[in-house]
Amino acid sequence: MNPLLAAASTALLHNALIVGAMLFALGLVGILTRRNLIVMFLCAELMLQGISVSLVAWSRHHGDFGGQVLVIFVLTVAACEAAVALVFVLQAFARTGRLDAAAWQGLREATLARTVDHALPASDASPPQWPRLSTAGVLPPGADHDSLEREHV
Amino acid sequence: MQNVSPATLLVLVPLLPLAGAVLTLLLGRRLKSQAHLPAIAGIAAAAAVAVVLLLGTATQVGRPDGVHAEPVRPVEMISTLWQWATVEAAYAPPAGSAAAIPGTAVGGGTAGAARAFTIPVALRLDPLTATLLTIITCIGLVVAVYSIGYMHHDPGYPRFFAVFSLFVFSMSMLVAASNFLIVYVFWEAVGACSYLLIGFWFTKPEAARAAKKAFLVNRVGDFGLAIATFLLWMTYGTLDFHDTLSADGTILPGILGQTRLADPGGIVGGAIGTAICLCLLLAACGKSAQLPLHVWLPDAMEGPTPASALIHAATMVTAGIYLVARSAPLFMACPDALTAVSIVGATTALVAALIATVQNDLKRVLAYSTISQLGYMFASLGTGTLLGFTAAIFHLVTHAFFKALLFLGAGSVMHSMGNVIDMRRFGGLRRIMPVTAATFLVGAVALAGVAPFSGFFSKDEILASLHAKGWPDAHGEHHDAAPSSHAKRGRSSFSPVHFAPGATTAGEKELRPLFNTPETFRVLFWMALVTAGLTAFYTFRAVFMTFTGPTRVPDEAGHHAHESPPVMAVPLMILAVPSAVAGWWLFSTQWLSHFLSATPSFTAPSVAATAAPHAFHMDLAIQGSLAAAIGIVIAAIGHLGRRSDGPQMERFLGPLQTLFANRFYIDQLYAGLIVRPLEGLAVVAALFDRYVIDGLVNSVAHLPLALGGLVRRLQGGLLQRYALAGVMGVLTIVLALAWRLRG
Amino acid sequence: MTPLPSLSPGMILAGAVTAAAASLWLLLPRGSENRIARRAGLVLGAAALAGFIVTGRRLGGLGEEAVFLVVSLVAVISGAATIVTRSPVYSAIWFALSLAGVAGVLLVLGAQFLGVATIVVYAGAILVMFLFVLMLAQPSGLAPYDRVSNEPLLSAVAGAVLLGLLSLSIGRLAADPTCCAAPARQPAAVTADAAATSDTLAVDQVARLGGELFGRHLLAVEVAGVLLLVALIGAIAVVARGEAALEDDRRLAAGGARR
Repeated sequence: MNPLLAAASTALLHNALIVGAMLFALGLVGILTRRNLIVMFLCAELMLQGISVSLVAWSRHHGDFGGQVLVIFVLTVAACEAAVALVFVLQAFARTGRLDAAAWQGLREATLARTVDHALPASDASPPQWPRLSTAGVLPPGADHDSLEREHV
Repeated sequence: MQNVSPATLLVLVPLLPLAGAVLTLLLGRRLKSQAHLPAIAGIAAAAAVAVVLLLGTATQVGRPDGVHAEPVRPVEMISTLWQWATVEAAYAPPAGSAAAIPGTAVGGGTAGAARAFTIPVALRLDPLTATLLTIITCIGLVVAVYSIGYMHHDPGYPRFFAVFSLFVFSMSMLVAASNFLIVYVFWEAVGACSYLLIGFWFTKPEAARAAKKAFLVNRVGDFGLAIATFLLWMTYGTLDFHDTLSADGTILPGILGQTRLADPGGIVGGAIGTAICLCLLLAACGKSAQLPLHVWLPDAMEGPTPASALIHAATMVTAGIYLVARSAPLFMACPDALTAVSIVGATTALVAALIATVQNDLKRVLAYSTISQLGYMFASLGTGTLLGFTAAIFHLVTHAFFKALLFLGAGSVMHSMGNVIDMRRFGGLRRIMPVTAATFLVGAVALAGVAPFSGFFSKDEILASLHAKGWPDAHGEHHDAAPSSHAKRGRSSFSPVHFAPGATTAGEKELRPLFNTPETFRVLFWMALVTAGLTAFYTFRAVFMTFTGPTRVPDEAGHHAHESPPVMAVPLMILAVPSAVAGWWLFSTQWLSHFLSATPSFTAPSVAATAAPHAFHMDLAIQGSLAAAIGIVIAAIGHLGRRSDGPQMERFLGPLQTLFANRFYIDQLYAGLIVRPLEGLAVVAALFDRYVIDGLVNSVAHLPLALGGLVRRLQGGLLQRYALAGVMGVLTIVLALAWRLRG
Repeated sequence: MTPLPSLSPGMILAGAVTAAAASLWLLLPRGSENRIARRAGLVLGAAALAGFIVTGRRLGGLGEEAVFLVVSLVAVISGAATIVTRSPVYSAIWFALSLAGVAGVLLVLGAQFLGVATIVVYAGAILVMFLFVLMLAQPSGLAPYDRVSNEPLLSAVAGAVLLGLLSLSIGRLAADPTCCAAPARQPAAVTADAAATSDTLAVDQVARLGGELFGRHLLAVEVAGVLLLVALIGAIAVVARGEAALEDDRRLAAGGARR
């Protein structure tokens, strides 16, 4: 293999590995930081994406399909994990009424009190302005104008 | 008797009561009401042996002759049982030691070779010891027989006799020991036995407190004896009384041995000598209940009456007298210490007599009377003449008899009156208890000093010795020289040469006697005379309140109010005999003073030089008898035939009565000066222990808790923090590895 | 490989990592919304990315470089946006975009099947599942727990340190030409394209991947299938039992007895 090609391949490996590392690090920060259970799982999936990139980069470098096969299995297991995890998230939501990781503080010293959030200043994020579409056609009888729009998603 | 050596007999005297004590301890439970048998047997045998020894020693001394033609030779016999301890090369006599005696192992001039310090358990038999051994064992026997009846129903019957025999053993060893350290050991031992006997009924809080008080006050005196022992060792290099033969053939002179006493400069005077003597005086004050350590004796009446009779009347309290008498040569070298002894004695006698006049408890009257009589003995000892020393011992002997008699009589009264001893609650007991009344009267008369009972003669001799010091010219013709080669003519009593015979020859500066003046002794004489009157007053006040007047019996008596059984009455009668006649017999034959003058301590030239021919001073006798008569008459006016709970004589005393009744507030003074600060110190120590030391220990225990509390915060319940901690840990490890692997 | 004058790649990397940490910390939700903080975070983030780009290796041609740069930037920036957005729905949307970027990277790396599979499975199935749950469970407006983060500083620092370590080791790894030499594994048919790109896997990629998968890793495939089944059944079972437990809890709360 000529050195230029070798260098190019090493360079791609290097760059891809860096990208993978960045995704992994970002995912790690997200898991440690965010308190919404769903966002935590999204960040876990982000970590898995970083892993996938790294594996594929190595696989290409070595000329071996093993890395790609492993990524397929990672994908499979991630899917199973996501399904089961979301079931638990729903159970947790059903018990506590919210998707907060800090709602579950039973695994602590018996003598310590629950950690409670400080009061937050009111959010100054203005409610999002959704585009209002004009109604087409005739309103159904008895319809309320306000009920046609949702405020949130 | 020829087969058994005196040494063996001497050892038997303490050993037999000891065996009795041990047997009583071992078999007491089994013997129950016969538990007195080993003790009685031991003491009786010891008494017999002591009498034999006394007779043997007396034979050796010889009969007194009318004129002191030649100096009395000292009679002693040393019997060393074993070497208790030996410290090699412990004492190296310094050059020019004050205690040097030429020709001995502690020679003067150059420093001597280092010699070993040995403590031999050695017993010594000389007239003083023989006299005291006889008193201890014989009175002990009589009191023990009395106790059979007195303690009959007490559950601690075996314990009483065990401690009783133990006491007789300790006291015998104390007076027989020939080494200051052994004396100290048995000094403490008699203190311990006294504690055990005072606190015999320890479940009674007052008794326990009294025992503790006695022991603690005695401790102060023991401290004095300990310091004296140390100083004696430092000065003389040995603690033995007797001379011993060193390994290299030279004599190691004992403190009171023949070699040292014969040498003019043998006894050290000056500051060290005075310190030693004052420390010995302190010890004597503690044990003999003199001011300021007298406070324990009245409280000690909480113990059983036979114990009071033996210990606090006849024997233990005389240990102080014995110590000063034995150390006579030491005191003779320090005239101020001698005068201190007299002053302490006379003051105590007067104060105690004043307090006794207002006491309503019969035993307390007798207790203060004991303190007062002991004061008399000290006053006599402090005169520093052979007459004074022998008079003190004479009074000791007679006092032992009549005081023991009085105490046993009081015990008899207490026994009948159901343990009531407050004189205001009973009266006219002579109709119920004739024997007790008669013997008590004999004892009272002896105590008051009415001729021809024993107390009169001994008190008269004491007054004579004080008078001789106060008015040296009054009976000048009697001070013709005792033919000792060291004597000087004329006013021999106050010549410095006699008190520190070796001082000038050794070139030392002698101390000018400060208090050793005739004026001092005049004051002391008058104090003694007044005390004699007071003694008669309070004694007969007690007699009249108890035995005369309408017959009243307190309710507690019940069916007890009758004469004591023979086992208690017979000892009373036995003791009444010497109380009546011993004084006259001993005085008229001059047997005791001649006998005692053969004691090595008293044959020392310093003491022997003061010997005066025996004479009966009629003027002093009249003065003494007059004082006693006045006292008896006043007591009769106030109390003879009246109800004992009627108005008392002391209403005439006014405010003084409160002073006397509160015992001159000395107890309160001690409580305020000593006890309260000590209690405060104890509180401080307790607080320190609770808050500082316990605080430290507890904080050591709290430290892990605190640390744990800090670390516990890590597990707050937020799972993401746990994950973060995990990540940080992994990163730390990886960083560390990377750091080590770089380059 | 063209470092800036007087700055070694190591230092640039260190600076980029630091900037990344600071940027993350500023951007993460921290209670109050500070516009200045957001802007500073964005600037710093851009600086970090620039640093990384500068220290990256130069690929063969400009086109390849541009493509790779674009897709990787999309992936990384979307990933960063995923973790800093307050609204979880937006977070999911950004995640979808990141998936697209990752798929692009995978395609650049020559894993065609995987690139497409990522889109299909992740974005199409898993992400949709997440969105469903969000719709079921997310309160209207921003929940308070969305507006705060858990230890943002420490986490950002940890992430940055991790990134720095990884970059360092990756840099050393790739700088040594002998260590990571591609094995001399000559495929059966090597076309000129393959030789030019040095990607030995590119020829008949999907077929050969399938052959490898079902050939060498058949057992694993079957196990993965079983795993999927188990996960399915397990999820249903947990839901079923969970509902019964919930009923019991409500009954208990209402004062009744446990059934």
